[in-house]
Amino acid sequence: MPIYEGITTEKLHVVIDIGSAYTKLGFSGEHAPRCIIRTEVFCKKTHKVRKIYDYEDKYDLYDLLVDFIHILYFKYALISPKDKPVVIVESLLSPTQFRDVLAKVFFKHYEVSSIYLLPSHLVSLAGLGIETALVVDVGYKEATVIPICFGLPFVHSWQALPLASQSIHSNIKTLLASENMGMVDINENVLEDIKVRCCFVTTKTRAQSWNETKPTITPCPDVEYPYNGKSSLKISGKLRETVYELLYVEDNDHQCLSTMILDAILNVNLDLRKILAENILVIGGTAMAPGFKSRLKEELYKQLKCTAYEKLKVNDFKFHSSPSLDNYTAWLGGAIYSHTELIQFKSISREDYLRENRIPDWINLKDNQISLL
Amino acid sequence: MAYIVEPDVVRYACMCGLLKPISRLYFCRHCLHLRCGFCVCHEVDSLFCGKCLENLPSTEAKLKKNKCSNCLECPSCHQQLSSKAATVAPKNPEDPKATPKKVIYLCCLNCRWTTRDVGIPDQEVGKSGWPEHENVHTNRLNAIMNHYKKLVLKEKQQQMDKDKKQRKYTTSLAERTGVTASILRKRLGMTELKNPLLEADDLKPAVASKEIVDSIEHLLTTPIKLNDITTIDQRLKLPDWQPTAVDKLYPVHKQLSVKRSLRCRSCEHNVSKPEYSPNSIKFKIQLFAYYHIPEIRIVTVEPLRIGKQCELLIKLINPTQHQTTITILPLEHLDAIQQEDTKVIEDPPETKEPLSFQLLQSSLTSHPRQINAKVGTDVSIPTSSIILPARDDAAEYDDTGETQNFQDDPKLVVFRKSNKAVIKLLVAPMENLELGEEVIAGFTMQHVYTSTIATTTENKEPQKFDHKMKIYLTLGTLVGSQ
Repeated sequence: MPIYEGITTEKLHVVIDIGSAYTKLGFSGEHAPRCIIRTEVFCKKTHKVRKIYDYEDKYDLYDLLVDFIHILYFKYALISPKDKPVVIVESLLSPTQFRDVLAKVFFKHYEVSSIYLLPSHLVSLAGLGIETALVVDVGYKEATVIPICFGLPFVHSWQALPLASQSIHSNIKTLLASENMGMVDINENVLEDIKVRCCFVTTKTRAQSWNETKPTITPCPDVEYPYNGKSSLKISGKLRETVYELLYVEDNDHQCLSTMILDAILNVNLDLRKILAENILVIGGTAMAPGFKSRLKEELYKQLKCTAYEKLKVNDFKFHSSPSLDNYTAWLGGAIYSHTELIQFKSISREDYLRENRIPDWINLKDNQISLL
Repeated sequence: MAYIVEPDVVRYACMCGLLKPISRLYFCRHCLHLRCGFCVCHEVDSLFCGKCLENLPSTEAKLKKNKCSNCLECPSCHQQLSSKAATVAPKNPEDPKATPKKVIYLCCLNCRWTTRDVGIPDQEVGKSGWPEHENVHTNRLNAIMNHYKKLVLKEKQQQMDKDKKQRKYTTSLAERTGVTASILRKRLGMTELKNPLLEADDLKPAVASKEIVDSIEHLLTTPIKLNDITTIDQRLKLPDWQPTAVDKLYPVHKQLSVKRSLRCRSCEHNVSKPEYSPNSIKFKIQLFAYYHIPEIRIVTVEPLRIGKQCELLIKLINPTQHQTTITILPLEHLDAIQQEDTKVIEDPPETKEPLSFQLLQSSLTSHPRQINAKVGTDVSIPTSSIILPARDDAAEYDDTGETQNFQDDPKLVVFRKSNKAVIKLLVAPMENLELGEEVIAGFTMQHVYTSTIATTTENKEPQKFDHKMKIYLTLGTLVGSQ
């Protein structure tokens, strides 16, 4: 009996964080997502599994999202989306086309009553109870850094580089192909499994000695990885240690994960730099790799000695740990925000959307006019 | 039946513009349109556990977080766990009266994972409920959620106070006479009521630390055993915990399943509604196109050559209890009608009034997408129609030669039996096709649909409608030219 539902129990809103690799789905006011599933759908026409983010155009994306959201609602959330609000956690840097199509799918196809869009970097701080921090999101497609100061994302000092799981996977693939003859076409899920179960981030000193012409250190033990039922892949100790190196080694533009953080700090006001350096929050599934954060800290101190960052006047770096696991920190923030009454007066209703035929965006001038109050 | 309808060689154009085989279509008999899974509105009808088939009301399912309380899944391979009984020797074996105790543990029959592997204590017989795993951050997260709730409420209160000050006249009668609820409470000598959510709380913000605890020393020296490390799927099955070692896995409660009912978007009538009980596979309402729309099957087609007229034999089957008349029309026939329709709609001048909701909701169905099929052959359109008698289940088994008195065009109708007829069409592949390309033929089929909805008492006669739809036949590949 749907009429009495509102009286007997507290309203639960669906909170969705659609990442490029994994989608987190749960309900408002809960402490962990109900499920974390791959952001992909099975295409009946081609009989292949397709990633949502590998869409061809907006029409293709529309169909993919319709299928995917159908799975989210009828297999996991188990409620009808019609006339119910939905909370979406998304990156401030997510493509406008994706945002627009997502809103269209929710409002026009699933007829939800309202959408509450939350910027992932900002809401990640909700689990900590603080207002100022530097949020580093290392996900599947890219690593992004956005400073949040007094509850406001400083978008002008954003940093983004394609240093994330996807590039690590392709790195494993090339290294494996050189070590194992004939192993060229390895499924990405296998690569991910190798990364998760065998690989880790080594220390700075060991990484430096790997770079020497004749490394003197003893590598960590090799792993025999069973593959395809019959054969096995030999994963050398060197591969296990060094696949994550590309995150920390400077590229041709002298940029890497640590310089991104320092550049972002450099872009904000003098007074805020020290506070940001002493409040760093790392989120995203890739950051869960063993040794990731301690290596990041080492690298930050190393970069600080460079001449480019001398003017920073920062001595210490301090890291936060969220009361969640790194891969759903942003989702947790969404669950906390939507548990408050904010959802009632901050969300975009269907009537508004159908009248304007667009959703407000920080990048759009129309939404950035200073009100004359 | 899959072998007849599964290779999508005969596709019907749904109202939303998608091409689907007849087995995947619905027919809304209220607005007389074809609908498919894409353009109907899905709704959750009932929730149940797929293993124990227990039916849960939606409120109860919400409380149980959409999980079945009785059925557990293996955290290692995600199959069902079964209970296994074992006997445990009594605590003091000297005591002659002591009997061996019966205990239960859970075991996966697929991968042989047991609760004993991870040190979950066995349960006594008759005692239900396995220990639940709790999130370690529960207290902190509850405090944070309360804090944010208060913060927003406070902001709201301040805004309301601000609005009150700006208002010149008090509208409420109680406030004008000066007797407000709070003053009344004071007069009666009661303490002032405070919203517990508005009281200040002392949430300590998180403190960042210099030290990071993720040591990798052990990974450098000790060889790893792949079987002891969980895969990513095993980790994500337990989202709040994501253990890295196999010995920290925990049984997972089985996720509930739903029965869905489907609703037509433009008239809001159900096109499919299952029976409530999870044991039943029957439907209360089932408006599948298969039971209402004549089915078309390809019987044979001659090898396709450019410029040559090839014979195409198709079989028409009437599934309804009423006689119907089928007319084959050219593909463009329906487009012409639709264009006339839209012209009429476009005519009224634009008004600034907000669109009515009825109109908005049907926006999905009123703007169909372009049909994605390239027609590569002309179809000779027969001049006469075909009359198909009603379906008669008994006639299926009647092998004695039946006599049907239909004035058929012998050039068109090749064969006829009970409610089926095979007709001959001529197709000519177009010049611009390449060798090996798939040839698609298309035409519009019009049939007489007899409405079975009980109409008003005056009109006892079942109403008849002409229903038209586009059909696309994939005839096979082009084998050459003449």
